[in-house]
Parts: sequence; structure tokens; C-alpha cells
Amino acid sequence: MTFLSQFASETTTVDKDLFAALGIDWRLLILQIIAFLILVVLLGKFVYPWLMKSVDERQAGIEEAAKATAAAQKAAEDNKAAVAELLTEARKQAAEIISTARLESAETLSASEKKAQKISEQIVANAHDQLDKDVANARKVLYNDTLELVGLATEKVIAKKLDKKADSELIAEAIKASS
Amino acid sequence: MTRLSRRSIAEYVANGLVKGDSKKELFSQLAAFLIDTGRTKELNLIVRDIEYFLAENGVVNATIISAYELTAETKKALEAFVKKETNANHVSLSSMVEPAVLGGVKISIPGREVDQTIARQLTVLKTRFKKV
Repeated sequence: MTFLSQFASETTTVDKDLFAALGIDWRLLILQIIAFLILVVLLGKFVYPWLMKSVDERQAGIEEAAKATAAAQKAAEDNKAAVAELLTEARKQAAEIISTARLESAETLSASEKKAQKISEQIVANAHDQLDKDVANARKVLYNDTLELVGLATEKVIAKKLDKKADSELIAEAIKASS
Repeated sequence: MTRLSRRSIAEYVANGLVKGDSKKELFSQLAAFLIDTGRTKELNLIVRDIEYFLAENGVVNATIISAYELTAETKKALEAFVKKETNANHVSLSSMVEPAVLGGVKISIPGREVDQTIARQLTVLKTRFKKV
């Protein structure tokens, strides 16, 4: 008990001494506390709501942006899948087109070859026909020329060989034949 | 003046010849008429018509073309042939030599021609057997 009384008395003394020892003016301190509280009240009433509103708006904007990013990412992923699907489809179609084109080109080539062969055969046939015609014409001309020559030769031979007596006999035969 | 037909003129001359009128007089009349009427170009046709009328009256004038002069025997044979063919009472032959016929004979009688010359036969040979 003695100890406590001694401590309490010492403490009161010490408190007075402590503020003084620390260089703190307790009246000034109280004033500063009051000013601080006023400041806190003012801040809490005017600044903090505005600040919180800005923060909330900012947060909302960030969340909006995050949502938009997520949506964009999702859309990108969806697009990627769609693009992949389209690419697959395009590759498939390209392969089909190439296959069809190859088939068609092969068919066209085959048709062209057949056509060319047909034309060449026709040309050969025409050439044969023309050749046959030329040969026939040549033979005809040769035949006619030969006939002409035979006629001329006969005329010459007869003109030299036929005499009056033979002519008389010939006339007699002609009369006989015509009767 | 009516224009006399060629047929009438020929008939007049032919009848005169058949009757035995003077040939000289008939032909003089014909020549004068043709000259007078400006129809001398028809002379050949009129002569042909006269021959035709004469043939109808049994008088045939045959023109014979041969490569050589005809012998009397041949002429006789030809005359007989013409008589037989035309049933004529009288046949007169006018023979001509044309070496171009080569041989044989060509007989021309009114309305008919018999060509048995070698030239003709050769022509037939060349044309008939010629390929077109």
C-alpha cells in the first residue's frame, strides 16, 4: 500500500514532469486534438464521400473494363474457334476444289486427246480421199490422153496404109452393114 | 405482094423438075426470084427443101463424101443402097472427095445421113469412151 501511494504520488508528479520533460504543452495538445477532430469531421463529411465516389467510379470503370476485356477475350476465343472452323472448312473445300479441278483437267485432257486424235484421223482420211481422187483423176486424164493418142496414131496409120482398093472394100462393108 | 413461103417455092421447082421442065429455065426463075425479093440467103434451105420434095416424088439426090474417088462398082452399090433405103425411082449421086474422112463413106440424103467414115468412127471412139 505504501508502495502504491508512493507510486501514485510519484506518478502525478511524474505526469506533470513528464509532459514538461517531453516539451509538450497539454493545452496545446488538446487544441491540436480538437483541430484534428474537426479536420476529421470535415474530411469525413466533405472529402471522403467525394473521394469514395471517385474510387467507386474508378472501380466500376475498372470492373467494366475487366468485363469488356473478358468479353473481348471470350469473343476472341469464340472467333478463334470460328476461324479455326472456317479454316478447316476452307481447307476441306479447297481440297475438294483441287480434287475436282484435277478430275476435270484430266477429263478435259482426255477429251482433248480424243478430239485431237479424231481430227488427226479425219485429216488422214481426207488426205487418203484426196489422194484417191487425185489418183483417179490422174488415171482418167491418162486414159483420155491415151485414147486421144490412139485415135491420132490410128488416123496417121490409116492415112498411110489405106489405099483406094481397101477403101472400096471398106465402103462395100459399110453398105452391107448399114443395109 | 404476098410473101411466098420457102416451102411453096421449093414445091414449085420440085414439081417442075419432076414434070421434066427445063432445069436451066427453072433455076433461072428461082435465081431471079430470090434476087428480086432479096432472099438469096435462103438458097441453101430452098435447095434442101427441093431435094426433100423430089425425094417425096421418088427422085433422090444423094451426096457421097469419101476419101478417094469412088469406083464405078462402088457407085453402083451406093446407088442401089440409096434406092433400097428411100424406095426412090431415080437416084442421082453427087460425090465429093475429102481426105479428112480418112476412109469409108458418108451418104447424105434428104432427111437422113449415113456416116460410115473412119474419121467419124475415130471421133466416136474418142468421145464415147472418154471418161468425164
